Amino acid sequence: MKDFLRQNGILLLVIALLLSILIGVFSYVMGGEADFLSNIATTVASPIRNGVAAAADWAEGVYGYMFRYGEVERELADLRAQVRELEEKVRQGEEASRENEQLRQLLELKERRRSFDLETAKVTARSNSNWESTLTLSKGSSDGIQAGDCVITETGVLVGVVDKTGINWSTVSTVINTETEMGGIVTRTYSAGVLEGDFSLMNQGKLKLNYLPEGAQLVTGDEVLTSGRGDMFPSGLEVGQVEGVFTDPSGQIRYAVIVPSVTLDSLIEVFVIKNFDITE
Amino acid sequence: MTRRDLFHKWFIYTLGLLPVWVLDAYILPRYPLMGVSPVLLPLAVAAVAVLEGAYAGTGFGLAVGLLWELAYPGGFGALVLYLAVAGMLMGAVSQYALSQSFPGCLICSAGVLGLLDLLRVARGLLTNAAGLSELLQVAVPEFLWSMAWTPLVWLLFRAIYNRVGGTRLA
Repeated sequence: MKDFLRQNGILLLVIALLLSILIGVFSYVMGGEADFLSNIATTVASPIRNGVAAAADWAEGVYGYMFRYGEVERELADLRAQVRELEEKVRQGEEASRENEQLRQLLELKERRRSFDLETAKVTARSNSNWESTLTLSKGSSDGIQAGDCVITETGVLVGVVDKTGINWSTVSTVINTETEMGGIVTRTYSAGVLEGDFSLMNQGKLKLNYLPEGAQLVTGDEVLTSGRGDMFPSGLEVGQVEGVFTDPSGQIRYAVIVPSVTLDSLIEVFVIKNFDITE
Repeated sequence: MTRRDLFHKWFIYTLGLLPVWVLDAYILPRYPLMGVSPVLLPLAVAAVAVLEGAYAGTGFGLAVGLLWELAYPGGFGALVLYLAVAGMLMGAVSQYALSQSFPGCLICSAGVLGLLDLLRVARGLLTNAAGLSELLQVAVPEFLWSMAWTPLVWLLFRAIYNRVGGTRLA
């Protein structure tokens, strides 16, 4: 300890204190935008992050090819069968759409529109903390991505919401993160609730649909979508399926446990919704 | 020890930190064990503080804290001060009460990780983020799984210390 005092150890502690305050103030003031120091550090670390992600994706691909070939073949056969079923549904859907359009014209209703301005991005890192669930993307504010933008998969399944943006990176708070809070709706019963992350469910990869209406009769497997209330997030994005319905310890609030449709562990590429225009 | 030796020594320690950081930030979170990823950066501070003492522990803690706050998402500054103070305390404890050995590092690692998780649980309780049992479901597995990595981190920094640590370059 004498060495510590002789070598100006106190000065180091004062520097640490000042840096802590500086980073705290910057992160508070900047909100959704990364502060100057974080931006530099994370931008400098980008090549390492991208390199590690690329190498790990490649290694996982090789591993999958070598040791899970049979599984991949079975999955391919299942997917082919699913494609056939979906093609049939698409044909039926197209017919229904045409009919819908005609009926809307007859009733002089406004045309339904749903357009997204999308930006593709690679997932370069996953949350390293057990206290939150985040993803780091390969694109940031230079590509027009802003905090609050929704992130989806290629099939329109909700991944999360952009939490912070840097020049060439952004972090996404995933649907299971404890900070998640958005409107959700069960398609079968039109029961609305609030989608929320939960500490005990996060590590199981699940989330809650909280504050369900009293009469809501949900069953396992019911599909949950974003409700789009408040116009902050687009409506109709697939979130997941109901696993079970429970009542909190106080006995006052009913909630459903939701299994997200997105597999966060194996995400490689996602789409950021920079802008959306939905007319129902 | 000349300024050049000092620079060389800390450059090697920084190189040693690099694989720990890459593992901690980019590789292990891809493969969580039952949903839990280990936290390796405090273990690196504990190992260096035990081996090099209070002053070096403070400096290394400050640097690792900066890395943690700036290169990882969601930081708000507190970890810089926490790891600097922890580095100082662990260095002092290892100099006066423990020894520059693996058991000493294990005790210090348990201390720094345990206190960090305790603070996070306290923050979760204060902000009403969740109940105690839910927070402990995150904290306890994280603590145990991180501690399992102590031998590896210790061996890495012990090897560096044997080569360039203390006043060996002088």
